Amino acid sequence: MNHRDSNETPAGGRLSVARVKAHRFGQRALVATGAIALLGSCATNAPQDTWQPKGPNAKMIDDLQQPVFAVAGIIGIIVSVAIAYVIWRYKDRGQPIPEQTHGKPALEITLTVIPALILAVVGVFTFRVIFDLARTDDTQLVINVTGQQWWWEYDYPVQNEWGITQPIISSGQLVMPAGTKVLLRETSRDVIHSYWIPALNGKRDAVPGRIHTLRLEADEPGIYAGQCTEFCGLSHANMRMEAVALSKEDFASWIANQQAAYQTPAEGTLAKEGEAVFLNQCVRCHQVDGLKRPDGTLAIAAPDENVWSGAAPNLTKLMTRNTFAGAMFDLLRDACRDDVWKADSAEFGAKYLAGVDEACLNVNDLRAWLRNAPEVKPMYANPALLTETNGKYRGMPNLGLSESDIDKLVAYLLTLK
Amino acid sequence: MAIIERPAPGTTVPALTPAAPAITPSRTYGALRRPVATTGWKSWLFTVDHKKLGLMYGATALFFFIVGGLEAVLIRLQLAAPDGKVLNADLYNQMFTMHATTMVFLFVMPMAAGFANYFVPLQIGARDVAFPRINAFGFWCLLAGGIVVNLAWFLGGAADGGWFMYAPNSGPVFSPSKGVDFWTLGLQIAGIASLTGAINLIVTVLNMRAPGMTLMKMPVFTWMITVVQFLLLFAVPVITVALFLLTFQRSFGAQFFDVAAGADPLLWQHLFWIFGHPEVYILILPSFGIISEVLPVFSRKPLFGYPFVVFSGAAIGFVGWGVWAHHMFASGLGPVSVAVFSLATMAIAVPTGVKIINWTLTMWGGKLVFTTAMKFAIGLVVLFTIGGLSGVTHSVAPSDTQQTDTYYIVAHFHYVLFGGAIFGIFSGFYYWWPKMFGKMLNERLGSWNFWLMVIGMNMTFGPMHILGLQGQPRRMYVWTEARAGEGFFNLGFWNLIASIGSLILTVGIGLFLINIVVTARSKVRAPLDPWNARSLEWMTSNPPKEHNFDSIPHVHHLDEFFHRKYEEDPTTHTMREVASAEDVLAELERNADKHIHMPSPSYWPLVLACGMPFVALGIIYSIPVAIAGGLIMLYALYGWALEPATAPESDFDAPSSNGHAVGASHG
Repeated sequence: MNHRDSNETPAGGRLSVARVKAHRFGQRALVATGAIALLGSCATNAPQDTWQPKGPNAKMIDDLQQPVFAVAGIIGIIVSVAIAYVIWRYKDRGQPIPEQTHGKPALEITLTVIPALILAVVGVFTFRVIFDLARTDDTQLVINVTGQQWWWEYDYPVQNEWGITQPIISSGQLVMPAGTKVLLRETSRDVIHSYWIPALNGKRDAVPGRIHTLRLEADEPGIYAGQCTEFCGLSHANMRMEAVALSKEDFASWIANQQAAYQTPAEGTLAKEGEAVFLNQCVRCHQVDGLKRPDGTLAIAAPDENVWSGAAPNLTKLMTRNTFAGAMFDLLRDACRDDVWKADSAEFGAKYLAGVDEACLNVNDLRAWLRNAPEVKPMYANPALLTETNGKYRGMPNLGLSESDIDKLVAYLLTLK
Repeated sequence: MAIIERPAPGTTVPALTPAAPAITPSRTYGALRRPVATTGWKSWLFTVDHKKLGLMYGATALFFFIVGGLEAVLIRLQLAAPDGKVLNADLYNQMFTMHATTMVFLFVMPMAAGFANYFVPLQIGARDVAFPRINAFGFWCLLAGGIVVNLAWFLGGAADGGWFMYAPNSGPVFSPSKGVDFWTLGLQIAGIASLTGAINLIVTVLNMRAPGMTLMKMPVFTWMITVVQFLLLFAVPVITVALFLLTFQRSFGAQFFDVAAGADPLLWQHLFWIFGHPEVYILILPSFGIISEVLPVFSRKPLFGYPFVVFSGAAIGFVGWGVWAHHMFASGLGPVSVAVFSLATMAIAVPTGVKIINWTLTMWGGKLVFTTAMKFAIGLVVLFTIGGLSGVTHSVAPSDTQQTDTYYIVAHFHYVLFGGAIFGIFSGFYYWWPKMFGKMLNERLGSWNFWLMVIGMNMTFGPMHILGLQGQPRRMYVWTEARAGEGFFNLGFWNLIASIGSLILTVGIGLFLINIVVTARSKVRAPLDPWNARSLEWMTSNPPKEHNFDSIPHVHHLDEFFHRKYEEDPTTHTMREVASAEDVLAELERNADKHIHMPSPSYWPLVLACGMPFVALGIIYSIPVAIAGGLIMLYALYGWALEPATAPESDFDAPSSNGHAVGASHG
């Protein structure tokens, strides 16, 4: 019998053991690297790093998950070492076939109870954090967030203590005061989206017909990147967001500016011609608060007549934002963008509030967008394929603007500050 | 098949004389004569033999594995660099939807069904399953469903809503192509295979075990398959309902998921995941069963803690029903639900951990033989442990809200499903190939196959842990340099590594396909008991005769075959051989049953299943086509209902001159 068994061992058997061990060493190294990275709270990597909390909610999650990752890593190492040892110790060296033991119940029960106890401890802490993260009674500022294919709308309801005396509607960047318990009230106008700023909190789905809440709080002023994380169709990948935290003073001036009256461009300027183009083309969907038609009536956008989901980004004060088209594109050139993103928290507010001027405008992407939006961002905007939506668009169509119209529009948009 | 006459004990079998008499099968009520072919394509098309059907399930699944794999490679090519140009957004969305759909419904499930079909009757000492025609019907439904789902590629684009197909994104407005219609109807048809297969195997296992085989002497593979069939029995109806709702929403103007009409889109999520989470265990438990056979064989020891492994499998099956909402921690369920499902998810880690411990202790103190099957089994234990531990990190619900819908989850379930389910399936390939085909897969190629898959798999899915924790979400057709970061953990480097890994993985799997060809062309026959195996399926020839066993063995032990070969030495307690496999088999042959009834082949399962794609296409394009499909099905049901399971005696060969017809008489 032994004879047969040793014949069965392929020539590669011993080699494979070495390889198994080498491989396992590699895995241990990977786990160890991960653990070191975790414990050392490694240097800045990707802007959406989930292990670098920048506010108390994300910190609460991180404090909970760090020990879990560590324990999981240790258990992984123990199991791997045990298997490597078994492979080395008990490989077929011609030993007789062992006694046919069927198990040791006491050992089994011990090894079942230990993981159960570990998980029970984890469970208690998990339980507490779940309920802490669900609190809404300590909210200081409410912002309504609405998802739509493929951008987010931010709507600041009237809150006099923050100087918000009329609703502010914005998009692209969520502007909020630092060190403040902000409560997002999320919903959606079409499919399910998910709001996620990893540095500030975990994600929460925005579901049509429902309102879900999400706590956000940033310790320091700065920009925090996020991304829609519930698959929402064609341009899911291009549905980004940025949360901008400002000091309370800077936030107050931001609020004041957002509510400031509309200023029409001076007569005879290119921007004034752009306003006419805007009134002719864009205002069908895009609202600019305070914009008036030549006859003196307020121009009210009617996106619900053209867009299936019923809204289009409100462009009032567009140039106070850094992004457009669902935060897919920057309004700032790379150098100017880096200047804002990498500013330290003391200087950040001033740089952000300066907004976008002609020198810093990312004119290439903006012009490409105005020239043919669906070409640079996949959307349902082919008029021939809109039978299911009764001819309504999902996203911005190609408006067929001439280059001179685009010149005028860019000049006009630059005045929206 | 059909009636097999065996010689009485003691007589020798004379060689078959050529030229069997022409057979005219009787006409059945459905107006078709029964099929009679025993060779050629007809013998496969109309077969009801569980082994042939098992192989057909396997071949179909392997084909879809290649399809799903190519879809995966395209996905990785697209994501290898920022702003990928290989696929556009629409095609990418179709690709990841169909990759998951194909791998889950058309590869892992049918492959497990194939193994179950082939080996469960053999492992319990039965000659076929309880309902052979329903078994055939199940296979044809699976094939029809797979074809319908994939037909969409050629008819305007495949489904693009993700395999989870969340409402309302799956509705007619948000997914205007016909892809989702093909998807719902195709899966509906494939679901019939799962449901009929579940009932069939449960009845088989509960009623057709060999004498002496109590439930607690049943091989663990059969046990795990049984648990899976119960999961299918209760889970498939849920997805069936969900798919019907979606079909009616898309094709007949119903408003189940229409928010404007007052629907709550979370209804779909609950329906989908009440099916979808048990589905995860449906995918993994068969592989747990396979390696629970392989590890003891190549450790030369029984499975450590057999009752613990069985009951932990059953416990996973039960608790698996109480964890579905852990897929929805971010969907706004409220803290109470989240807390409950979070704790339940932690609880399910315990029986899973028990299995890992038992497999390790099975090897402990053994005599380990590192065949390719064993390597894949050990690979499963290690890789599944990694996947299981990352699973524990997102059972912690707050932590999961950071991880869900990122590549960390993709890493997790690929460690569980690729490192777990697929490694188990490959272990099964290498272990059972000689049983199924009478030839052994090349071990040298097998070793390369294994190591390239291990390296490729870790290179592909390992970096996804980093990508996910660095905040790269799933299901994005492009990722951007602007969000990639710098330093060691930048997304660019690790995306590239993952893509290179997927190519290595492709080569590894390619070697397996080459191995199949090499083996098929080799003339070397496998020995009777190549692995020194332990369970009943090895107590017959390679491949088994169509009636499986000459005489049904009486079972006294778990690992009956092993205990017929070995006895314990009273002093050393080690085992010594007392009989060879050939001796054991000769013993069965001596006691061969005289008169073996096997089920007869039938046209009806195939005809019935053929009606279904017509119904599906009719619902999508034109109702009269659906009615025609319905008429085909009605006709098949009529013929089937009035056809006896076994053809009448007059259909069979006349007994040969010495009074014994040996082997199949017809069909």
